[in-house]
Amino acid sequence: MINSKQNLITQTIKGLYCEPAKIWIDPNRPVEKAIITHAHADHFTNGCREYICSIETGLLLRKRFGNNINLKTIDYDKKFSINGIKFSLHPSGHILGSSQIKIIAGSETWLITGDLKRQKDKTCKSYEKVKTDFLICESTFGLPIFNWESTDKIIDDITKWVSQSEDSISILFCYSLGKAQRLLSELNSQKLTNIYVHKSINKMNLIYKRLGIEFAEAKIYDTNLEICNLNKSLLLLPPSLNNKNFLRKFKKVRTGFASGWMSIRALKKRSGFDKGFTISDHADWNGLVKTIKESEAKRVFLYHGDGESLANFLRDKEDLNIKQLNEIK
Amino acid sequence: MSLNKFSKLFEELDSNNSINKKVNSLTKYFKSNSNLNNIWTIYLLIGKRNKRFISGKSLREYYSDIYKMPLWLIETCYTKVGDSAEVISLLLQDKLPEKDIKEDISLDELINNILPNFFKLDENQKKSYIKLLWEKITKDNQLIFNKILTGTFRIGVSKGLVTKAISNMTGIDESIILHRLMGDFEPIEETYIFLINKKLEQRELAYKPYPFQLANTFDEKIKETTSIKQYHFESKWDGIRSQIIKRANNISIWTRGEELVNKTFPELIKIISDLKNDFVVDGEILIWDENKNMPEDFSLLQKRLGRKSPSIKIQNDLPIVFVAYDILEINGNDIRNKILSERRNILEEKFLNSISEDQTIASKKIKITKLLKMNSWEEVEESKNSARNINTEGLVIKNKNSKYLPGRKKGNWWKYKIDPMQLDGVLIYARPGSGKRADLYTDYSFAIWENNKLVKFANAYSGLNNEEIKELDKWIRKNTLERYGPVRSVKPELVFEISFDNIQISKRHKSGIALRFPRITKWRKDKNIMDADKLENAMRMIRS
Repeated sequence: MINSKQNLITQTIKGLYCEPAKIWIDPNRPVEKAIITHAHADHFTNGCREYICSIETGLLLRKRFGNNINLKTIDYDKKFSINGIKFSLHPSGHILGSSQIKIIAGSETWLITGDLKRQKDKTCKSYEKVKTDFLICESTFGLPIFNWESTDKIIDDITKWVSQSEDSISILFCYSLGKAQRLLSELNSQKLTNIYVHKSINKMNLIYKRLGIEFAEAKIYDTNLEICNLNKSLLLLPPSLNNKNFLRKFKKVRTGFASGWMSIRALKKRSGFDKGFTISDHADWNGLVKTIKESEAKRVFLYHGDGESLANFLRDKEDLNIKQLNEIK
Repeated sequence: MSLNKFSKLFEELDSNNSINKKVNSLTKYFKSNSNLNNIWTIYLLIGKRNKRFISGKSLREYYSDIYKMPLWLIETCYTKVGDSAEVISLLLQDKLPEKDIKEDISLDELINNILPNFFKLDENQKKSYIKLLWEKITKDNQLIFNKILTGTFRIGVSKGLVTKAISNMTGIDESIILHRLMGDFEPIEETYIFLINKKLEQRELAYKPYPFQLANTFDEKIKETTSIKQYHFESKWDGIRSQIIKRANNISIWTRGEELVNKTFPELIKIISDLKNDFVVDGEILIWDENKNMPEDFSLLQKRLGRKSPSIKIQNDLPIVFVAYDILEINGNDIRNKILSERRNILEEKFLNSISEDQTIASKKIKITKLLKMNSWEEVEESKNSARNINTEGLVIKNKNSKYLPGRKKGNWWKYKIDPMQLDGVLIYARPGSGKRADLYTDYSFAIWENNKLVKFANAYSGLNNEEIKELDKWIRKNTLERYGPVRSVKPELVFEISFDNIQISKRHKSGIALRFPRITKWRKDKNIMDADKLENAMRMIRS
């Protein structure tokens, strides 16, 4: 069990916890001290006394959640110490600033991957291989049906989808932080001349641009915009705007969603989008297997998603000491 | 004419929710492809008796064997995805080379020549053959290929869409296309030429049943807005809706599911051939109790339907009748455009005229439904409520002035069904649905009290709306007691109103009762499990 007293990292109702350093990782409620792996809203909670994160995550958190949070930012790969426990952050390839956390106490090393991806992404540093004794790895897409196609292929599909629309606007829903920027960094302004982004996406874009990341040319979508001008164009919107009330104003509209879940037709059908594009900022099945093997960990814990199958598979096949962590409620 | 093009069409249809766009895509496709390719496309899209070359389960087992992936893992994927062909095509993405430009295969070649080989092979040969085929097919075509293989082609392209597209393209009325699509369907070039032929010839449609007219659910407002005199009232028979066709001594009996059932009901064929006129009649096949002069329970008919060529003994033990209620054609003339009251006269005067002297044999097996005399809506209501006493489902109310039209035309036919029986049950098990409802707990089992134990009495899959399904899905995941494969047992806490059409003693079920068409009609959030019904209540329903 991860929660045996000897373990450096334990699972608590507030999230993963490093007792000797009195620090939580991505806590879901206010605590004294927290390390934040990345700037997605479900990994951040307001009201902590002190936050520690990568420099890029710091920029994003400030933009999203305000300037008055007490942030301490750390370069990737740089060691820092709390109560004698050594920490360092390493790129996890999920989104800009996303970090794995390496923790060393005495001769024992732990690694918490946070959300991770093994595919190339122009908007963030690539996943860094880190060796560890104990691994806590995400497993959002822990089934062998999840096999991501190359980013080029998906971008090509999106470009064709937009170009082939005769008279309607193509709305592509995507998370406003991470996915939207990854798409914008890959799309080609020459092939798609009319790209619009929602203001929530643009807000994040500003940080990326400041860091020198290049995007396809995109205009900010303004609600007062003449709708007829939007025909044949691509509009990126956050998924929260996928409701009939909002979409009604566009006369002719096609909707798509960019997410790893779109590889399953039933999920696509149920969500009501016309088209699904399977592009994910998480590791697919092979990515997870590779990550776990490369870590050379002697004990592995999986969290998020259906890790049970992946754990059972690797336990049988590789004789690995591995188990799924269920959320504590 | 190819798997490639069909695969692209599928993708196009699958990624457009708008019906108009789907119709346009189809029309464009039909225009730019060969007749033979088009007829195979139609064959696959309308899913009419698509052949299954390999079952989904075997496909999963073969994959497990070939690629050394544990079967339990594939089964877990299957519960998530809900379709064997899709699971396999997703798993294969990783096994096939990235760049694969391969030869295209024509649909005709694939379905007529390549896939039928499976029927000649033993298990091991099948396995190597399927591997060979998988490696021959491009990644993009795997879903389509495996769907054809398992005969599970359903992509929400109904007959209606195909009909619209052909009608669009040819300018021929939809009802005629629909008629041409009825009955047997042979995927050959001639069939396509026949479908799009702009010349209309009655003779071409010989042996084809007409598209059935269907009834809408009765709207209580009709009682206030229209006069009772406008309508015919008939019993709503609980049997197999069928059309009997007699044209120049060729006789065929078609069910509404477009199955030819001549062999299942040989006793009817004999009698029909003795009738004097040619005709097409619409009616219902039932098992009949001569003594009580009313139909037997539907379950007996099901038993009879299970026998594809019934022995004389079965024919005697489970005697069927055909109850006619409409006539669509008489001696070669399509009379669907005549109004119902005129058609009824023709039915009464011409249908049962026998060649032989002895008309009693015919009238024992073939009847004309009685028109029920109703003087007021109160009487209609009463008659509907007492339907269960004579083993019918209620009433069908038909507009005397209506023509016979395909489908559910508002205002022509109404079904006025008896109120269902109901019991309040406790949710005890749930399993994920398939297809669109994969990975969502949508199939439920319910229990009622036997003394102080809960015993399962019904499975139900339908009746909740999407919001309720989502809410319940969340609740099930949080309140799981145990898992048995895909099935979860849950904390007995939620009560649902279960409606059903009939209830019977059953030795096969633990509770000792079997329900007909159980469905959920209400989530009783106001009730706790102690308020759920007792088995005694259910037993009392059977006796009454």
